[in-house]
Amino acid sequence: MKLGQAEIKLEKRATLNNWQAAGISIVAIIVALTLFGTIFILAGINPLAAYREIFSYAFFNPFGLPLTISRFIFLLLSTYAFIIPYRAGLWNIGMTGQLYAGSLAAYAVLFGFGVNDFNSTYPSAFIILPLMLVAAAVGGAGLGAIAGFLKGKYNINEIVVTVMLNFMTFWLVSFMIKEGGLFMNPGGRGESFELPSSLRAPLILDIPITIFIALAIGLLLYYMFSKTRIGYEIRAYGKNPAAAAYAGISKFRIPLLVFIMGGALAGLAGYHYFAAVPGVYKIARNYGFFGDLAYYGIICGLISRGNPLASIPVALLFGGLSIGGRFVQGKLGLSFGIDYALLGVLMITLVAFQFFYRYKIVFGNSMKEKIDAGALH
Amino acid sequence: MLELYIRSLDASTIFLIASLGELFGQRSGVLNVGIEGVMLFGATLGFITAQSTGSYLLGFLVGITIGGLLGFLHGLFSITLGVDQVVSGMGIWILGFGLTTYIGSPFTGPLGLDRIPTIFGLSPFFYVGITLVVLIWFVLSRTSLGLRIRSVGENPSVAEVSGISVAKTRYLCVIGGGMLMGFAGAIYSLDYNPVWSYNFLMGWGFIALALVFFSMWNPFILLAGSILFGTLWQLSLNPQLLLPGVLSRYVWRMVPFGITIVALLLMSTKWFRTRWGAAKPEALGQPYLKE
Amino acid sequence: MLLEEIARGDTVLEARGITKIFPGVIANDKIDFEIKAGEIHAILGENGAGKTTLMKILFGQYQPDGGEIYLGGRRVKFNSPLDAIDLGIGMVHQHRKLVSAHSVIENIVLGHPRAGKILNLKRAAQEIDELCEKYGFSLDLKAKIWQLSEGEKQVVEILKALYRGAAVLIMDEPTSALTPMETKKLLTSIETMSEHNLAIVPFITHKLPIVLRISDRVTVLRRGKVVACIDTEEATEKSLTRQLVGREIIFRIERDKVEPGKTIVQLEDLSALNDKGVQALNEISFSIREGEILGVAGVSGNGQRELVEVIAGLREATSGKVILDNRDITTTSCYERWQLGIGYIPADRIDVGSIGDFSLVDNTTMNYYFDDEYTDRGTLDYKRIRKLTNELMIDYGVAAPNSEVMAKNLSGGNLQKLILARVLSRKPRLIIADLPTQGLDIGASEFVRNKLNEAKQKKAGVLLISEDLDEILSLSDWVAPIYEGKIMSIIPGDEAKREEVGAMMAGISLKGVGK
Repeated sequence: MKLGQAEIKLEKRATLNNWQAAGISIVAIIVALTLFGTIFILAGINPLAAYREIFSYAFFNPFGLPLTISRFIFLLLSTYAFIIPYRAGLWNIGMTGQLYAGSLAAYAVLFGFGVNDFNSTYPSAFIILPLMLVAAAVGGAGLGAIAGFLKGKYNINEIVVTVMLNFMTFWLVSFMIKEGGLFMNPGGRGESFELPSSLRAPLILDIPITIFIALAIGLLLYYMFSKTRIGYEIRAYGKNPAAAAYAGISKFRIPLLVFIMGGALAGLAGYHYFAAVPGVYKIARNYGFFGDLAYYGIICGLISRGNPLASIPVALLFGGLSIGGRFVQGKLGLSFGIDYALLGVLMITLVAFQFFYRYKIVFGNSMKEKIDAGALH
Repeated sequence: MLELYIRSLDASTIFLIASLGELFGQRSGVLNVGIEGVMLFGATLGFITAQSTGSYLLGFLVGITIGGLLGFLHGLFSITLGVDQVVSGMGIWILGFGLTTYIGSPFTGPLGLDRIPTIFGLSPFFYVGITLVVLIWFVLSRTSLGLRIRSVGENPSVAEVSGISVAKTRYLCVIGGGMLMGFAGAIYSLDYNPVWSYNFLMGWGFIALALVFFSMWNPFILLAGSILFGTLWQLSLNPQLLLPGVLSRYVWRMVPFGITIVALLLMSTKWFRTRWGAAKPEALGQPYLKE
Repeated sequence: MLLEEIARGDTVLEARGITKIFPGVIANDKIDFEIKAGEIHAILGENGAGKTTLMKILFGQYQPDGGEIYLGGRRVKFNSPLDAIDLGIGMVHQHRKLVSAHSVIENIVLGHPRAGKILNLKRAAQEIDELCEKYGFSLDLKAKIWQLSEGEKQVVEILKALYRGAAVLIMDEPTSALTPMETKKLLTSIETMSEHNLAIVPFITHKLPIVLRISDRVTVLRRGKVVACIDTEEATEKSLTRQLVGREIIFRIERDKVEPGKTIVQLEDLSALNDKGVQALNEISFSIREGEILGVAGVSGNGQRELVEVIAGLREATSGKVILDNRDITTTSCYERWQLGIGYIPADRIDVGSIGDFSLVDNTTMNYYFDDEYTDRGTLDYKRIRKLTNELMIDYGVAAPNSEVMAKNLSGGNLQKLILARVLSRKPRLIIADLPTQGLDIGASEFVRNKLNEAKQKKAGVLLISEDLDEILSLSDWVAPIYEGKIMSIIPGDEAKREEVGAMMAGISLKGVGK
């Protein structure tokens, strides 16, 4: 493309360092939010005003902030569930199903101790809470393991399998909590029994302690990918499976392992949402709305390019945006689903921006540079 | 019982047309995992259009058009910009899921139009679907265009040195394929189940995607697979017709998805895998960028 | 068509002052070239001499930054291969540009308007049969490409060009991947075609005897420039080498004499399938002792890939045994085999031997991540691995700014040096070198061969796979020609004769000396 004297050209990037990647990601988010502004304009709302409302509610409002942080924890765990397989070049679209499996497993612990029955006595939270966490992780990991096993052993497309498992667990949850299911609320409202207050995850300043779990996992993952042998094996498998096999890295073990790890974290996200977020403490009848929010994990994972530390600010931002979005939806009388619309717009913008991770825009007379470089050679 | 057969064929038609769209694109080497998103868009915008204008024709036209546009978008990303086809498809799916939730929710509820009349008791789209199978088979296997499409899907660099534009051919296929997916979505929301609700497709698109893998890229096998899954799907919705009182209806809803996984497992056995490997477009999923 | 009225001896194609610049390199620097109808004018040049660039410019795949092309005296401009094809230029690619799942006839008519909108394959078959008769080819038009031999695939490419009315035929490395028999047949076909007034331009890297045998004229390229254009009658192998490399090269590396030691590896009746599930290895047996190089000579696709993969542990054997140092390792994983001292240098450097998006340090790690000296309870000791990488880069002369650059930015030769360094630094007992010098220039090839000889002196055993008969004959203590998954014979290196081994590579069984 020529503009006067100057020439604008696309050039393939030889390298992309973390800061450049971060820069592109930030530009992508800004572009997405600008695009998203048209939705407000179409609804007759000044987008700047809308964004001011969103951010002030999400990050500076005493009611909004705890919601944002709870959402952030959920998104962060979902993101990690996506990232671990992603670093191995595999797509975990099954966070939704894995988080359902995790929450069902956590509730199974409660059910096992008879918590659903008002008259029963059960052990203290010190025993039950850790068990619930472990069960949630195991439940999610178990579902993830199916996809990982099928991929590793039979090379079956993991996207299709995880999506199928999502729908299966979706109906499994219904089966468990509705129409006479085992976990059904005695009141029969098509939702699960409620957590007694003694068994709810402890809060610190209105924030569930799951935040420490999520952040600690982030640090661990960062260490794992950059320093450890297993992290190396996962990365090698992800960048070039044939070369990884050549180096002796197991084609079976890596997919299985990453899906087990990813599934476990999604399971924890499920525990968090249905047993730790203030105001929920049950598997609600419209659990599908919560489950589908896990898809934000795909976007966070892609924007942070699989970097567990970079995911933290991204998940916080998106947590805030989705909470604030839902708030302005009510306040400004928009129709339902503004946070889902945001999800869609962010995702598609991000996809377009994948291009810029590989190419850069160059200004100036490139022909001359070529000849100069050639003369040096 | 007859009612069940008819509904099954209606469901099959949707699977068939959507997966024919996917097959058409895949034969040129472009995988579109966003089929569910395209269908959601076709269904939602078709529904809104028909609801607001009272015209089925406009509804279908809008559904097909938006499908074509999304196909174009997928082409723009994966053909021109060289973005990974899976990433782009995921984007289309999540865009479809997210945006249609917002756009469609004011229209939640049933379509206020008379039902589309049937032909010999079957939805007219069933016949359209059968025609499309034959048409696509003919184009792919008997015409010069079809040879080009298949070559682009097998080995784009060969096509390029034979004087074929890989990009143009692939655009043609993803746009055409997208139109079929959008059409299938519109059939769902205007004919099969004319009610709008949150994320109503619940996996139709993904099953259609799996069907293409099962079909070994052959339109006739695809037809058989669609009928099988359409019937299965309809049964899972109405288990009481066949086995009244056995298991919860929620468990039945899990069955088609479970069978899909089992079918994938079968396909991975050695016998299938050698045949499958031979039928698979060699360049499927790989971006082609000219030097 | 511009070229219909051209008579024998008229200039068909002329290129004047062709210049092409890539970032950092002038690939073609004012190249002049000319060919007459009925002439065979070879272009000779090493990798990196600008041969491929010139070829792509003549075929319209690249547009030159300077210079002109004339066809039949008229100036032409090719914006794409389509323009070049339309004007009568045909190309026979080294890496066959054919759709392997499609039939011969589908490949020939692909993209050609004469086949009709609705394919008229009957008429096309008639026309192709006529061409076959005229030029003396025979082919089953309904066969799928993947069922054909390399030679037959080449015929398909030639027919495809002729079907499009080519008057100039560009042939990239026409004899590579062909058996000696097929080569002979090809040379006859080329002569027939030139008798029918076709202008033929073979592009050749090393095979000087071929150039001397078939061409009428030869143009030699070096560093993007024409250094000579001579009638072949006046050229000798020696004079061409001097032009090609700029200095004289002694082709024969002396085979080192090392007293062989204990048996390292022994194969017993080993069989295996290829990716398509067809038997690719047929009861292979041989053994390699310390200080020996066993060279498997053969045309690609005769089971070499499956052989090395079975020994490296990347492919299952269907029957037979692999024994390493008296231990049966037939079912041992690839991972364990690295630790047992197998060092594998794969043929595919880019897709198997390295990870392009990893730094050189991380690429070195491929062979060290399991090494206790470089790990500490599951954590990699990157400091030591970095140090090792830097040392290896110096020892093996890997040219790169530093050890943190991505492997994809290395040239083929440098990448091969890095892989070699990484594998050999583990001091493997058995080195599997699969096409170790493929695509490298003469200097880098020499380096690789010397390193293999060095390893042999240090008592390693080497399994060398090569298509280059000269390489096999100059390095191997034992020569094992392979054909369709069978080792034809195992001949001591001193007694191996070129013609004999060449014949066995083509499946002609002669009585050899067993081992």
